[in-house]
Amino acid sequence: MLRWPRLGLSLGLAFLLTSCDDLFQYNPNEETLLDRDKDLTAKNIARISQLPVSDTTRFILMGDTQRWYDECEDFVRSANQQKNISFVLHAGDISDFGLTQEFKWVNEIMTRLKYPYVTVIGNHDIVANGSATYRKMFGPLNYAFSFGRDRFIFVNTNSREYAFDGSVPDIAWLKAQLADNPGHQNTIVVGHVPPFDADFDKNLEKPYTDALASDPTVKFSLYGHQHRFYEGQFYDDGVNYHLTTSMGARGYMVVSTWEGGYHVERVNF
Amino acid sequence: MKKYFLSLLLLLSLHGMAQEVGLRPRRAWYLPDHLKLQFAGNIGFLSGGPGYVSRNKTLETDLLFGFLPQKYGGDALVTTTLKTTYSPWRIGLRDSYYIRPFSIGAYLSYTFGPQFDTKWPSYYPSGYYWWATAIRPGAYIGGKAGRNVVLNNRRRSFELYYELGTYDLLIISYVQNKSFLKLPDIVSLSLGVKFGFD
Repeated sequence: MLRWPRLGLSLGLAFLLTSCDDLFQYNPNEETLLDRDKDLTAKNIARISQLPVSDTTRFILMGDTQRWYDECEDFVRSANQQKNISFVLHAGDISDFGLTQEFKWVNEIMTRLKYPYVTVIGNHDIVANGSATYRKMFGPLNYAFSFGRDRFIFVNTNSREYAFDGSVPDIAWLKAQLADNPGHQNTIVVGHVPPFDADFDKNLEKPYTDALASDPTVKFSLYGHQHRFYEGQFYDDGVNYHLTTSMGARGYMVVSTWEGGYHVERVNF
Repeated sequence: MKKYFLSLLLLLSLHGMAQEVGLRPRRAWYLPDHLKLQFAGNIGFLSGGPGYVSRNKTLETDLLFGFLPQKYGGDALVTTTLKTTYSPWRIGLRDSYYIRPFSIGAYLSYTFGPQFDTKWPSYYPSGYYWWATAIRPGAYIGGKAGRNVVLNNRRRSFELYYELGTYDLLIISYVQNKSFLKLPDIVSLSLGVKFGFD
């Protein structure tokens, strides 16, 4: 008779330990991830590559989920109502404090999307152990992939986090990626901090924008960071810069691309 | 002079007698009143260190040195923590067992590492980030159970405690996202033992 409560206790303890992986926490900056939370960029690109390609590719650009979880849940509900979306691009500032816990919470919400999502790193994601966690959870800070007629280049543009040491954004890497386009696909460069922002290295602004402008396959480039919708051809060089707003401002963009053209639509939720 | 000397001697001998009957502790004032070893609680995988207790035994202040091995944390982190715990009620049980059913406390932790700041470098405008990444204030509630024992003719105590705690960055996340976040999402458990030199 005595065994039953003991069995119950050990079962209860086992349940607590397995069902709740966050029951014990060792440090706010710990980088503990389950396998299902690792290498999300590669996993989601693999999902995207399985999607059917049509004449027009439609995707969502959203960003700055930092400490706006309730709003991000509303975004997911709104995004899931959209038609013919292939995937979602997160323009960075996934987390606010660079904590692994925050990355996990945002991923938990974003996995409720009907679509795969990929991310670019934001300045808040680099704070403390943030960039180390980003590497483990998502993948490289600079990467590229192709889908249909489009080639997406994700580049870390958060120069201030590196004390404007000239290493970020990595212009040489960006140029190599732009050059590696034998199929002449539309190239869409995605970053967090736009080149005209004070957090972008002033010494790299011209090399960066020139690199985009000198590539005829680059028609537009996508960003977040300023928590507002903003767009324009700021350098009079044929490249349009589009900024999506934050989750706190309850907005995102639907981008459609086709051969020789694209369209950007703002959505408020 | 002789008179003073005599009274001093008398005082010293009284002091010695008091020790023998166990009325006053023999230890010097600066020696810690207890040692603690704690598992989890956002101040290390394991943390331990000395502490002091108020005369009425309700208020404990500890200085803990914590370590998180890379194996359990993804990154090896060293943390020092100053924590204060208030446990107002004591319920005595048989065989010198007792429980302190409720504790409330707060801590300030400092995690070492070049990636953590107490003051943001000058290449950030002032107030760019409002929090320090190296220092974390946190708070917790809990309880403990213990037993008074005599070891080698000295009074000692053993206590087991648990704490449910959180910290500033999680609290502000919770307050602003009460739909997505529930209290258990920001609270974690820690367990510890205390060895007291009463």
